[in-house]
This record gives sequence, C-alpha cells and structure tokens, in this order.
Amino acid sequence: MTTYPLENLVQTRWQNTFDRLNGGEPGITGLLNISQAWNTAREFLRPRDIREPNSKERNLPVVKTCFDALNEAKLLPRLLETFVEDIRQQESLITAEVSSFMAKYDESEDVTVVKSMLRRLVEWWKAWAPIHELGYTLLSTFNLEFQTHLFSILPSSFPSAFKKLCQSTVGAEPDAQLWGDFERLGLLDRYENLIASVCYEQIEGQVLETCVGRWNEPMLAGLRGWMADKIVPWMILPYARGAKTHEETRSMLQGIGSRFDFHVCKTLCDLRTSEIFDIIVDYPDSNCALLDLKECLQRVDQRSQLVQALRRLNRKRLLHPGADTKDILTQYVLMIRCLRIIDPPGVLLYKVADPVRRYLRERPDTIRSIVASLVGEGGDLVDENEPIQPLQTQFEDYSDPNWEPEAIDAGPEFRTNKPSDVISTLVSIYDSKDLFVKELQVLLAQRLLAIKDGNFEKERQNIEILKLRFGDAALQVCEVMLRDMTDSRRIDQHVQSQKASNLHPTIISKHFWPALQASTLNMPGQFKTIQQTYAKEFTTFKPDKRLRWLPHLGTVELSIELQDRTVEVEVSPLDAAIIELFGSGGKTAWNSQEIIAELGDIDNSSLNKAMMTWIDRGVLFDRGDGTYEVLEIATSAVKAARPPAPKRPAAQPEAPPVVTVQQQEAEQMRVYWKFIEGMLTNLGSLPLDRIQTMLKFAPGYSRTIEQLGTFMEAARREGLVTESGGQYRLNK
Amino acid sequence: MKVHIKRWHAIAQWRWDTGAADADMDDGDDGEGDVCGICRVPYEGCCPSCKMPGDDCPLIWGECTHVFHMHCLLKWIGTAASKQQCPMDRRAWVTAERKVATTGS
Repeated sequence: MTTYPLENLVQTRWQNTFDRLNGGEPGITGLLNISQAWNTAREFLRPRDIREPNSKERNLPVVKTCFDALNEAKLLPRLLETFVEDIRQQESLITAEVSSFMAKYDESEDVTVVKSMLRRLVEWWKAWAPIHELGYTLLSTFNLEFQTHLFSILPSSFPSAFKKLCQSTVGAEPDAQLWGDFERLGLLDRYENLIASVCYEQIEGQVLETCVGRWNEPMLAGLRGWMADKIVPWMILPYARGAKTHEETRSMLQGIGSRFDFHVCKTLCDLRTSEIFDIIVDYPDSNCALLDLKECLQRVDQRSQLVQALRRLNRKRLLHPGADTKDILTQYVLMIRCLRIIDPPGVLLYKVADPVRRYLRERPDTIRSIVASLVGEGGDLVDENEPIQPLQTQFEDYSDPNWEPEAIDAGPEFRTNKPSDVISTLVSIYDSKDLFVKELQVLLAQRLLAIKDGNFEKERQNIEILKLRFGDAALQVCEVMLRDMTDSRRIDQHVQSQKASNLHPTIISKHFWPALQASTLNMPGQFKTIQQTYAKEFTTFKPDKRLRWLPHLGTVELSIELQDRTVEVEVSPLDAAIIELFGSGGKTAWNSQEIIAELGDIDNSSLNKAMMTWIDRGVLFDRGDGTYEVLEIATSAVKAARPPAPKRPAAQPEAPPVVTVQQQEAEQMRVYWKFIEGMLTNLGSLPLDRIQTMLKFAPGYSRTIEQLGTFMEAARREGLVTESGGQYRLNK
Repeated sequence: MKVHIKRWHAIAQWRWDTGAADADMDDGDDGEGDVCGICRVPYEGCCPSCKMPGDDCPLIWGECTHVFHMHCLLKWIGTAASKQQCPMDRRAWVTAERKVATTGS
C-alpha cells in the first residue's frame, strides 16, 4: 500500500519527461530527433585543436534548428554544462601554447613574442567561441570559462610583460587590432591599473626629464601640451575604442583624461615640493615654478605635504647653528615672498614660518640683524618698492567686496596678515616693538658717533621712514639723538667763530643715548689744553651748561713730524694720547707702567693694541725691554725687519663704543642679584616664583620668570647658589 | 718728533650746571646725576610735558639752592596749594640770578 503512491509519482514524472522530449511525436521518433540534435549541437560547439585542419562543413541553418529543438525540450542548460565540460578537457592545449610562448619571452624579453602569443590566443578564442546567433548566454559563459582558465595559467611574469607591451605602443602607430585583442581576451578589464600605470610612468618620466631644476619657465602648460600631443592619441585606443564620433570620444576620455591631468599636477607638485627650498633661494628667478606650483596645488590637495616638506627642509638646512642669522632672515623674507605667490591669504606661510620665527626669537642677534637692515646696512631684506605701512593690528574688513574667508586649513590661531609688508612681518617675530626700538637706538648711536663731517642726512631719512612704521612716540629718543647732532654742529660753528679750534665735538644728551662705555682716560698735553679751551667757550655760549668729555670716543687726525718724514694718520684718542706723551715732553722712552700712570687706568690689551698701531706705522719701536721709543729716522734695519704693515682701519675700534642691550641687561641684573642674595640669606631657600614675586617689589624690575630662571641657572653654574627640588639656596 | 692735531672729532656730554654738583662734576664719576624734585626725571632729561631736553626744557634755580625743571616748577607755582613756596623746603620761591661770570671761570 505504501509503495503505490510513490510508484504512481515516478510513473507520472517519467511520462511527463518522455512527452517533453518526444514532443508528441509517434513512438520514440521525437527522442531520436532530440538525440540527433544534441549530437549535432555538441559537435558544433566542441572546442577543437586549431592546429588540426578543420575540414568539417558547418551548416548553420541545420545547427540552428538543432538548437531550437533542444531549446524546446529544455535541454539547453544541460548542453551548456556539457560544453563547459568539453572546454575543460581541451584547455590543456592552450596551457601548452601559453607556456611555450612565455618561456620564449622569458628568454628573449621581446614584447613581440607576447604580442604574437596574444594573437594566437585570440585565434583559439575565435575558434572555440560559439557564434552570436546562439544567444548571449552561451557566449558569456564561454567567455567566462575561457578567461578564467587563461588568467589561471598566465605566469607571474605576464603582467610585467604585458606592461612592456603596452609601453611599446606609446608613441607608435595606433594598433587598433592589438587593443581589440586585449579587449576580447578580457585583458583590458583585468589589467586596467597596469595600463593606467603605463601612462602614469610616462607622465612621471616626462616631468622628471623636462622640469627638474628648471624654475625659470612655466612648465605646466608645456606638460599639458605634451599630454595632448602624445598621450591623448594613445589613450583613444584603450579608453575610447568604441567611440564613433569626435564628441563621443571626448566624453569617453573626459573621466580618464582628468585623472591623468591630475597625475601631471601631482607629479609636478611632488617634484616642486621636494625642490621648494632651492626654489625659494632662487627667487625671483624661480617665479614661474612658483606659479606652476600654485596652479598644481589648486588641483591637488597637497598643501600639508608642502608645509611639511618645507618645514623639514628648513630644519635641516636653515635652522641650525651653522647658519648665519642674516642668511636665515634673508631666506625667511624670500619665503614670505614666495609663499605669498603660492597662497595669497598666507595660511601656508603662517604654518611654515612658525618654527622659523620661534628659532629666530631664540637667536641673540636677530633684532640687531633686522634693525641693521631697517637702517639700510646690507638692506637686501627690504624691498624698496614696497609701500611703507604703519605697524598696527590688522582687522578683517568685512565690507570689502573682495573679502575671502580664511582657507580651510587655517589653524585656530591663524592671523590674517594680508596687507602687511615684509618688515612688519619681521618685526612681529617679537611680541613688542620696544626691543627693536632699543636696538635701533644702539645702532643709530654707533652710526651717529662715527660721523665726523656732520653729514647724517641718511640717518635722518631712515628715522623718518622708521617713524612711519613704529610711530613718532617710539622713536622720540632717536629724534633727540638727531637733534643733538644738529645742535652740536650749530654749537661748534658758534664756538669756531669765536675761537677757532681743530676740535669738533659731538655733544650728546646723556639720557637719550644708549649707555656708553665709561673710561678714565686723561688726555695729555696739547689735547687737554684744547679740550679745556673748547669747554670754556662752550660755557660762555651756554652759561648754564657744562661739558663732560668722553675722551676715549671719537677720532683724531694727526700729522706727525719726524726727522726724515711726516706721517699722516687717523687714530683713536687713546693712540693719539700715547703718541702725544712721546712727542710733548723731553722723555723719549716710555714703558707701559709709565704710560698707564700718565693716562689713567687703561687695560693692558687696549694699550698693547695702541702700541702695535704705532709700531705698525713705523713711528715707535719696541726696545725689547718693555719700553718703547720714537723712531725718528726710519732705519733700513727696522724697515727690513718690518715690512709695510697692511693698512688697517685704525680709526675704527673693534668693539662698538656703545654698550649693547645684552650688556645693559646683565649690568641691571647685577643690581638685582644683591636683592636675591639678601632674600636667600634671610629666608634660607626659596623657589623661583617666590623670588620673582619678591623682586617685583624692586623698582624697575621687569624680567619675566623665564629670564630670572636663566639668570639663576647661570648663578648656579658659577657656584653662587645651589638648587634642589626647585629651591634655591646660597652656596656657603 | 712733533705731533700736530689736524682735526679732532670728540664726543662729549652736556650737563646742567646745578651749582652744588660742581665738585662731583670734575670727578666725572657720578652715574645717574641729580633728578628734579618734582618729576623725578634727571635734570638732563626733560620734564613730562616736553620731548626735547636741553634748551627746550631748561632748569630753574631757586635762591634756596633747589633746582627743578622750569616747566615742573611753574606748574607747581601755578597751583593754589603751592602758596608760591618751594616744594622742597616750603620757603617762598625766589628764582636765583645766575652769575654767568663766576661759572665761566
């Protein structure tokens, strides 16, 4: 009972299948027909070895009817499976051919081998491929099977060989058939990256070849022209083969074209980024390179790379002890100019400049260098053509129709300094401009004191220009200095008219000039007389005022009459005082002690230097026992022993007469040391911030705690204090 | 040997002759100099309302030997509270005659 329904079911199925296959034909003729059709179809599809001559006629209409019959019997899927099975059996043929070709290639490295291999593969493909009329499914199944097999047997050396083949086509006659083959074998899709990389490499090669180190002409346009001439025609085959019209080609190339254009920009951008330091050094000759870079950066988002590269290069090549401060400043100024071209809002500049500025702030002579360039000593920092603007905080002008928001990569503390000029940027390295003014004062003093002919028009001009920048109030002191110069001249004219003198002093207002070196030099003999006469005349002219000489400053022009010759010299007052000693009294030989006793407290080194000056000039000679004597007659012996000394500017003392800002500060700190010493004596040990707090009560104390820390550290090194756990204690 | 000075460019500082400080001056060793008793700025500096020192901001000498910037003192004298007295010793302010002849010698 249980088997009956099952039996029934099987029987029904059998009957149905039979009916389907037999197609309602009498007896089993239908089945026979189907079997006939199957065989024909399979025979038709069977992949053959193309090396064997294929004589079999193909009767397309017959095949077609066979397929129709199979389709009616719903046997097509089965046929497909069989077909695939057949292909698999024959695949070894292809495998053998491919490996023999590739072996040949490996030997010869000749791309034509690859080319002919691909040709051959296409022949296989053509031979095996079912005809179009049999429907798309069959074809795509075949393609899939064929390609899967092909890719599985291609050796690992094939991609590189294929790439070489592609490379060989660049610039050659377009070979449409080759690319057709590529597509047929599915190589285009599979090796798309490889083909693109061929193009990338072409671009990179071209950029490196034409652009390295050439910054004085625009490159980007040339590269794009090269792309249009050389690469685009090549691109048509791989990327726009199906295009019928010009328009179609264009639209098909658009996507890939912009990818390659991007790559051109990126490559050029990378190159210029790596060269950026030297480009900046070469500015303004490298202007074109900068414009290229600017255009590339708009296309390629590599701003942060540029910043990093430049920061790294700066660190490596600029910000180290071997570089001169002036060079760093020059490079910084060039950097400002260059980065303004690349990025007018100044975001890049801000990012790059930060380490440079911080480094410059730590250098002791930065201010001096900047100020020197401000007043025109080696003033290549300042561009004459730049409009002078007063230093002031710049506000955003939102009513400006050309206003643009800050760039997207601007940091939170980014300050727009669009309109400021180079000098303002340099000055803004420091938080306050007072330091500059101080240094400027020192420098101005040095220059003014060195002026002998009363012509200081250039300094006046400089000050006028600087006033525009720093404001009148800040430069008031300099104004007083300049007026002292004018007054001195007027006073001198008056005094000369009363009583002619060959002394022409510069009379200064003590509190408005930087501290000048003190000295106890006593001018001897006729110098003293001249000084006194002049001072007396001065007092007659200005009854309420007195003169106090700074005898060691200034210059003296002397004419020294010796027995056989006259020597004309321009020397420092100390030199003059010494020679006066020899010339005035009856005593002709002096030793150092006697000179010092006569002239006041002179340190040995400056005395020796002065003696050397005279010996060099052949006026004095060293008797050998530490005493010096006048060389009245230039003996041949001395001349032979002492060849004419190289002329040296004796009038200019090596050390500037003006005490520098640092020296002044050290001097002030000495006063505060007394306070600190007192504190530590009374209170034992103190931390740094307590010392700072207490020192703030001292009059005129304006150091930061960092400066105090440096000072205390110096004191510790000198062994004056000890430090443990942040507590300072006097060293007993 | 004979030394002739052809031209000498020297540097000098000017300072006010405050009378009392004459001795110090010759020593030449006083660092800061005296300050005006009113504005506490050195005599050779200028009073708070001036910008140029020297003849533009002169001193005034009192018979009481006290010396001030002229502008400072005049301002002081101009206030009612001053009662025309010297701010240092509260004696009536009398401007001293400067004896040019003696200082010149």
